[in-house]
Amino acid sequence: MSISQQTATPEPALTVGAKPRDNTGPDALPARQPRRKWWHRISVNCWRLIALAVFLIAWHLISIPAGKLLLPSPLAVFPAFLDLLRSGQLIGATAGSLVVFSGGYLLAVLVGIPAGVLMGGFRRVGETFDIYVNGLNSTPRVAFVPLIVLWFGLDIGAKIVIVWVTAVFPIIINTYAGVLNTDKDLIEAARSFGANQRQIFRYIMLPSAIPYIVAGLRIGASLAIIGTVVAELYTALSGLGHMLDQFGNSFQTAKYFVPLLVLIGIGTAISQSLKALERRLARWKTSSIEI
Amino acid sequence: MILPKIEVRAVAKSFRRAGRVAESQIDALQDVSFSIAAGEFVCLIGPSGCGKTTLLRLMNGLIEPDAGEIFVDGKAGPVPGPWAGFVFQSFRLLPWRTIADNVQFPLQMRGIDASVRAERAREYLALVGLDGFDQCYPHELSGGMQQRVGLARALALQPEILLMDEPFAALDAQTRELMQIELSRIWEQRKVAVVFVTHSLDESIFLADRIILLRRRPGKVEEEIPVPFERPRWRYDIRALPEYSRLRAHLWDKIRGMVADEPQYKRIFQESA
Repeated sequence: MSISQQTATPEPALTVGAKPRDNTGPDALPARQPRRKWWHRISVNCWRLIALAVFLIAWHLISIPAGKLLLPSPLAVFPAFLDLLRSGQLIGATAGSLVVFSGGYLLAVLVGIPAGVLMGGFRRVGETFDIYVNGLNSTPRVAFVPLIVLWFGLDIGAKIVIVWVTAVFPIIINTYAGVLNTDKDLIEAARSFGANQRQIFRYIMLPSAIPYIVAGLRIGASLAIIGTVVAELYTALSGLGHMLDQFGNSFQTAKYFVPLLVLIGIGTAISQSLKALERRLARWKTSSIEI
Repeated sequence: MILPKIEVRAVAKSFRRAGRVAESQIDALQDVSFSIAAGEFVCLIGPSGCGKTTLLRLMNGLIEPDAGEIFVDGKAGPVPGPWAGFVFQSFRLLPWRTIADNVQFPLQMRGIDASVRAERAREYLALVGLDGFDQCYPHELSGGMQQRVGLARALALQPEILLMDEPFAALDAQTRELMQIELSRIWEQRKVAVVFVTHSLDESIFLADRIILLRRRPGKVEEEIPVPFERPRWRYDIRALPEYSRLRAHLWDKIRGMVADEPQYKRIFQESA
């Protein structure tokens, strides 16, 4: 069983201890029951809520001298949230942003993983393209926006292309790296058992790349959220990006915080679910520290 | 004369090593010849760098010799396959597969039916004393248990020859001795031929019917020594026999002779002389 269940480290499982510790060996120390301090007995989720509460209180206190134009109190943001929710504007904008995000992100996954696998599977393909993929990955994606607008217009198609172009490269690069980083010893072991090249690829290289691929999906997802807002601000205004623009420019600061907080919520939800996916797919990995 | 299971005939192999200035060539093996009978247990020993592991890889067909030939059942040019079961020093289990799936892996590569595979995995996990662990992942097991899985995986192929590359070198001393007994027990049941690479003189004397001592740079067969002790050897203490000390002293003299000229050992051996 993982070490994390024996120690006081609560979730998220900070799985330290790559080697299974053998406590039965002759030189094992006698099991020591540490005196648990009171702050160890509070779960991490509880600490998170405490941190959030401290933050909200600090926000409120700072907002008093700052005034509601520069920094409205969270107590003012909440009614604004309810207003926008009731009017339907928030739901419509969130739905619009999610369509752009998921369209572009899914396309990036559908293109990125096979492209990375192809580059990893065929050495020449990988060696040929990795310089270009890395080059494009280091280029600020906003630089492509005017070109995309020129080619695809201002509507949803163009937005999806913008999201796609922000998310696809890290997915390709991670998948490629994952396939390349397959343990050579495992490949040789499979060969010694008579596995052919195709089987080695299918049963050794692909499974060992999965943790890398999921990490790539996480990086891609956070970039895709950035891409979504960029797309909504730089093409026809729409979605949460439009709300940011609208309330930012008209100094309705309390309302401005609403789409911002929704974006933070979406980002958190997506990265947490990808983390869960990672835990599921890579439960055989013991040595990773989750971040 | 009975056909040997595997025959290594005048084999040579060298590797190129890219150096800072120029490539250098390392003669791993030169003119190596020996043969192994069906069901025989042979240990390869020799100082580091004498090409023991290279020999195993050649016998398996993972690499090809530069010169000479290897015959398996009289046929030249071995190809990796189920006839040989490889056991590695670092276990090399697939970390994302359960123990049962690891044992099944080579069978799966042969296209064997899933139900047959599962049955075979159960049988061989039981043989190495790991029944009940089939749904564990490798990282949940100790080193000794992981190597039992490695052994079960190789045996499940029902090979005619086991190629073992210092399989117990990564284990602690106690586990190592227990695994040696376990291996002898299994070998006496199954009677597959075994080629076992080791650095340990005691291990080789305990396990082998015959010890092949190699010298290095270039790797060559120095001497072949039959090990006369009666089996099963775990029933009594072979180390108490005078013949044991004689054999061990002989092997150690030979190996010391090979490394005594190396600069890092020269000082020690001159002082003690």
